[in-house]
Amino acid sequence: MKRLRGLVAGLVLAALAGGCGTGPKKTEITLQRFFGECGAVYGHSIDVGAAEGECGIVTTLINRFQAENPDIQVDVNVVAWPGYPQLTAQIAAGDPPDLVTMHQSVISDYQGRGLLEPMDGVLGEAGIGPEAITPAGLRGVTKAGHLYGMAWDTIGGLFHVNTRLFAQAGLIKDGKPILPTSADELLVQARQFKTRTGKPYLVQSEVSDAASFVRNFYGYVMAQGGVLFADRRHSRFATPEGARVVQLFRTIEQEKLTTLNQDTPAAIASFMNGEGGIYPTGTWMIGAFDQEAKTTGRPLSGAYAVFPYPHLWGRDAAFVDGHAWVMPKRVRTAAERAAVVRFLKFMAAHNFDWTRTGHLPAFRAVYASPEFRALPHRSDIAPLAAIGVQLPGYVQRQSAIQGLLGEELTSAVTGTKPVERALRDGERRVDELLDQIP
Amino acid sequence: MTGGRRDRLAGFAFVGPFLALYAFLLIYPLFMGIGLSFHRADLFGARRFVGFENYARAFADPIAWQALWNTFKLTVLIVLPLTAITLALALALNRATRGAAIFRGIFFASSVLSVTIVTLIWRFILTPDAGLVAKIVTTLGGTPPPFLSDPNLTIPALAITTIWWSVGFPMMLFLAGLQQIPADMYEAAALDNAGPWTRLFKITLPSLRRTLILVIMLQTAAQLQLFGQAQLLTAGGPSGASRPVVLLIFEVAFGRWELGYAAALAELLFLLVLSVTFIQYWAVGRAAKEER
Repeated sequence: MKRLRGLVAGLVLAALAGGCGTGPKKTEITLQRFFGECGAVYGHSIDVGAAEGECGIVTTLINRFQAENPDIQVDVNVVAWPGYPQLTAQIAAGDPPDLVTMHQSVISDYQGRGLLEPMDGVLGEAGIGPEAITPAGLRGVTKAGHLYGMAWDTIGGLFHVNTRLFAQAGLIKDGKPILPTSADELLVQARQFKTRTGKPYLVQSEVSDAASFVRNFYGYVMAQGGVLFADRRHSRFATPEGARVVQLFRTIEQEKLTTLNQDTPAAIASFMNGEGGIYPTGTWMIGAFDQEAKTTGRPLSGAYAVFPYPHLWGRDAAFVDGHAWVMPKRVRTAAERAAVVRFLKFMAAHNFDWTRTGHLPAFRAVYASPEFRALPHRSDIAPLAAIGVQLPGYVQRQSAIQGLLGEELTSAVTGTKPVERALRDGERRVDELLDQIP
Repeated sequence: MTGGRRDRLAGFAFVGPFLALYAFLLIYPLFMGIGLSFHRADLFGARRFVGFENYARAFADPIAWQALWNTFKLTVLIVLPLTAITLALALALNRATRGAAIFRGIFFASSVLSVTIVTLIWRFILTPDAGLVAKIVTTLGGTPPPFLSDPNLTIPALAITTIWWSVGFPMMLFLAGLQQIPADMYEAAALDNAGPWTRLFKITLPSLRRTLILVIMLQTAAQLQLFGQAQLLTAGGPSGASRPVVLLIFEVAFGRWELGYAAALAELLFLLVLSVTFIQYWAVGRAAKEER
C-alpha cells in the first residue's frame, strides 16, 4: 500500500512539474476559411508581401498573426469552397468555429436564423467603426441594423483580356482592347477574333461552375433594368431580359466562339496558355494573371489587361458580392473574445495585402491609399466599385439559388434545354426553395 | 431460478450491450428520420408537421425522378460489369503461385484508397484538356471525349471509376467461394474427360451461385447509395445528368436546409435498399432449397 501511495504521489508531482514547464496556457480560437489549401508552399511563411494569390496571402496573414501573437493558438480549418454545408453541419451539431469566412450574400441566411453574433461590439473594440468600411462592404454586412461581419473585400466579374491575341484580331485601338458596346457587336467581334486568330473569343469554365453563368446572368439582367426577385418568395428569370442574356451565350456556344467542356482549372490554364481572347471571371484572378504577364517567356507575357464587363444593354451594372469574417453564435470566454478582437484588428490592418489578390478593398482608407492605387490595373477596374450591384437584401439562400439557377443556365447555354424552358424551370425550382423558408 | 431461465438471462446479458447500442445508434435515428420526413424542418430545430407533403413533393419532383433514374443507370452499369470482371479475375488468380498472389494484391490495392484519391486519379485520366485519355486520343488525331461534361458520358465515367475502385472486395469473395469447392469434384470431372468450359459451367459456376447472389446484392445495395465519386468528379452535372439520389439528399439537406424533404427522400431510398435486401434473402433461400 505504501508503495502504491508513493507511486501516486510521484505521478502527481511529475504532472505538476511538467505543467510548470509548459508556460502560460494559450487562448485557442478556431478559424474556418475557404480560398484553398497551400500549406506546402506557404505553410511556414510569414512574409505577407511575398505571397501571391488568395490562398498564399490568407495563409501567410494567419501565420503572421500567429507569430506576432504567441499567446493565441489559431486552429485553422480549411474547407472546400464555399464550405457552407460543413458550416451548417457544425452549427447544427453545436460546434461551430469562432470565425468563418462567408460571402456577404449568404450572411442573411445564418443571421435570419439567429446563428451569428452581431459584431458591432467586437468591431468597436477592434477600433473598426462603420465609417471605416466602404459603402459596398457596409451594405453587405449590415443586417437588421447591426454589423454581422467584418467586410473584407468586394468581388465581382471582370473581362480578363489577352491583348496579344486582341492585336492579332485587329481589336486594339490606342493601345487598348476594343470591347463591344452591344450584344450584336460582341458577336461580330467574336467572329472576327476567331477568323483572324483561329482561337475562341471567350475562355469559359462551364463544368462544375454554376457561379460563372449566374454572375453573367444577374449582371446583364440588372443592366437591362430587369427585376430578378419580385419579393422574398418569387424569382423572375423567364423574362425577355433574361432570355436575351442566355441567348447571347447560347449563340457564342453554338458558333464555338468559346472554349468548351472546361472546368475552372482547365479554363485558367487555357487563358494562361493564350488559347482564347477573354476569360470572364472574377477579381480574384488579377494577381495570378498579372504575375504570369510579368514573367518572361510565357504565352501571357506583357499581354494582359482587365476591365469590368462591357456595357451590352441598358446601363452599366455588374453583380458584385464580397467576403466577410463572421462569428457564429457560441459560448466564448473573455480571453477567446479578446483573441477574436485582436485577429479582426490584425486582418483589418492588413486589408491592403488582401487587395493584392485583385479584390477591391473593404476599407475606405485602403481605397484612398496611394499604394492601393499603384497596384496594377486598379484604375481599369475602379468603375466596378461604382456599378456593382448586389441582390436585394430580402433574397435568402443565395448560395443554393446559385446552384439551382446555374444548373438550368448551363442546360440552356450548352443546348441541353431550350432557353425558355430552362429559365422557367430555374424559376420554378428557386420559387419552391424560397417557399420552404420559414 | 431454473437452468433454462438462467441460460436465457445469460444470453441476454451477452447480447444486451450490443442490442442497446444498436437500438440507440441505428433504430432510434431511423424512427427519428421517419418522424422528420413528415415535417417541414431545417437543421436548426424549426419543425412544422406537414403530413405526407414531403412524399407528395418527392413524387412530383422531376429532379428527384432524374436522380432516381441516374442511380438506377449507375447501379446497372456498375454491378453487372463489376460482377463479371471480378469473377473472371478470381478464376484467373485462384492458384497457389507467387504471381497470382502478387496480382491479387495489385487488384485489391485500389480498394484501400479513399474516394478523394480515386476521383483525383480519374480526373487526371478523364479531363478533356490534359487528361491521359485526351492525350492519347489527340495523339491519334481524334477529339477527346468530354467525359465530365457530356450528359451522355458522365454516368459511364462514374461507372468506370467505381468499378476500378471496387474490384477488390468482390474478387476476394469469389476467391473464398472458389476455395470452398471440393477438389474431388474437379478430379471426378477430369476422369470423365470434361473440358475447361464444361468444368466452369457444370461445377464452378453452380457451386458459386450463393456467392454470386451475395456479390450482386451487396454491390446493388452499395451502388444505390453512391455519393462521393459523383460529388467530387462531376458535382452531379451537367444539369443533374449524373446526380444520384444520395447527392440530391445531401444538397437538399445541407445546401438548401430542407431537412424534412431530405428525410423523405432518404426514407424512399431506404425502402428501395430494403426491397433489394429482401430479394437477396429470398434468392439465397431459394438457392439453398434447390441445393438440398
